[in-house]
Amino acid sequence: MKAKVQVVLCKCCTEMPTLLDLEKLAKVAADSDNVLSVLSVDAVCDGRQLAQVVNDAKDKETDRAVVLACHKKDISPSLLKAYKRAGINEFMVELVNIREEVVLPHLEEPERAQAKAESKLKAALARARLLAPQERQSELMRTRNVVVIGAGISGQAAAREAAKSGAHTILIEKTGKSLKAPGIIMPNSTLVASEGYGGNFKLKIRAGEKLEVLEAAAVVIATGGGWTQLKGPLAKAVKDAIPLYRLHEQVKAGTVPKDPIVIVDTPDPAGKTLRVQDFAWDDALETAMELKKKHPESQVWIVFQEMRAFGLSELAYKEAADLGIRFVRYDKAGPPKVDPKNPTSMAVKDFSQGELINLELGTLVFASIPANPDNEGIAEALRIPMTPEGGVRRGSIQRWPVTTPRPGVFVCGSALFPKSHEVAEREGEAAGSMAGQFVKPGTIEFGGVVAEVEQEKCSACLTCVRTCPYEAPFIGKAGKAEIRIQGCQGCGMCVGICPSKAIELHHYTDEQIMTEARTLLGGDF
Amino acid sequence: MAEKKPKIVAFCCERHGTDAAVLSARTGKQYDASVRLVQVPCTGRVDGMHILQALEDGADAVFVLGCLEKNCYYDTGSIEGRKRVGYVKQMLAEVGIEKERVEMFNAASTNAWAFPEAVGKMVEVAKKLGPIGGGERP
Repeated sequence: MKAKVQVVLCKCCTEMPTLLDLEKLAKVAADSDNVLSVLSVDAVCDGRQLAQVVNDAKDKETDRAVVLACHKKDISPSLLKAYKRAGINEFMVELVNIREEVVLPHLEEPERAQAKAESKLKAALARARLLAPQERQSELMRTRNVVVIGAGISGQAAAREAAKSGAHTILIEKTGKSLKAPGIIMPNSTLVASEGYGGNFKLKIRAGEKLEVLEAAAVVIATGGGWTQLKGPLAKAVKDAIPLYRLHEQVKAGTVPKDPIVIVDTPDPAGKTLRVQDFAWDDALETAMELKKKHPESQVWIVFQEMRAFGLSELAYKEAADLGIRFVRYDKAGPPKVDPKNPTSMAVKDFSQGELINLELGTLVFASIPANPDNEGIAEALRIPMTPEGGVRRGSIQRWPVTTPRPGVFVCGSALFPKSHEVAEREGEAAGSMAGQFVKPGTIEFGGVVAEVEQEKCSACLTCVRTCPYEAPFIGKAGKAEIRIQGCQGCGMCVGICPSKAIELHHYTDEQIMTEARTLLGGDF
Repeated sequence: MAEKKPKIVAFCCERHGTDAAVLSARTGKQYDASVRLVQVPCTGRVDGMHILQALEDGADAVFVLGCLEKNCYYDTGSIEGRKRVGYVKQMLAEVGIEKERVEMFNAASTNAWAFPEAVGKMVEVAKKLGPIGGGERP
């Protein structure tokens, strides 16, 4: 079948008509093979002009288009939708970013820019000729369950928020504590294993003695922080040190911890293993002040490396100092040290004074919470990578901060890294509402830019299975690799690494990429 | 005779790589026009074959621009990309072509300086080394 291409030149940005010779560019396009129509419009993002473009495509019966405009992410949604209505597949439209790749960076070299623009146009035409239509598919979700692992602050918030979107929430709690949250609560249960993909998960859950299989559309990890995994010299030296939240509980309950109370940022002051988060200081200051107000006679020291109270919480510094809380700043050259043989005194070099201070140690409190040791099991069951600190790794920031690399799995609260109550609750809400939005349509969409295996070439070497971060490839019944397109994200990592060249990524085939590069190299600029 | 312009091919990932290039243009940075940007969905998609073919087709230098390794959109994509580039470098060294002609860079989408800097470095390399093999190529 012969390609029928429509070329659209958008001259929206002011520099383009002054820098480039658009008529010459249009002539290059018109002289190329397979080009049926060349249109020059003022702005392709304008609705009326877009309609004109699309009508032209209909009239000339073109089946693909090359659009020279600006950044893909800016124009593609409306443009592709319009073309789709005109019966042109969204994968048959080749967008060239002429504005940000040619015009803006080469304002001082009009001749080279013109040659480059012509080359770009030719490359896009060459690539457009090789394009093939792709269909997106959808699949029904079997359930609308959102499984929340952990029923702490963030977990409860996630369940509340997910329920608002009409999802059925199931809270899995390790302990048997009673709590109020919408949906089903499974006490004394843990996640053991999972299979499936975002939208249709099958989770194996150990509830008490029984092993249950639960279907879920989305999973929210809200395991929270942990205290049992303490590392560092201070933790080794002082066995009866307590976390900040324990001190908070004691102060609330009215018991007085042994005087003097020393709050240290981390059990490993000289190392890097535990990061102290900003929140720790909000909570530390708050707790110390509450303690001091209730028991003015008690001595409270805060030993810190870098203190960052958040926003308006900074006002608390002064209030705390007025109340008589004393601050000691140290740096890595003189971290606080406790002799294990004498755990009642701590030596720390004051950074600003340069003097060595010996503090009497009644109660040692650590401000930061280490990651939850349960994270490891959960991350393994859901097959999600972890951070070196022991938290669950989140996906790219571009994919939103409460998502994981695995679609359909969300994460919030201290499961990522330690957080304050308030932040954990907000994050829980964010993760819950995202999980709710994920299950709301009741279908999952997939396809388009996905990989496909050519079965004859496959030698079942498992390279793709090991490389894919989304577990899309698997060895099928025929003993050859297959791609589960519901899981495929279209990155093409398996394609690039396949030693037999058996996998092809639609819309980014080897031929398309190499033709584009070759045509661009053919131009002289 | 005018100085021969170098030819650079940049394989940029569709996520942070291209975004960094676009941002550099939007912030008014100017760079050498000899760069040819080819979009790939992820640097993990880049095959050794693509780089070698580009060198064969007349490129003096090729670079790959991907996401930061800890913040890759596709999780491990830019790490795969780096491996692929390393593999090509090794191959080039074996056949006696300067391996500096192929390089991997990482950028976040907010690093407006990353793309022009990479282009500058590769243009320098291409100018220093001249065409592959030293002689005239068709």
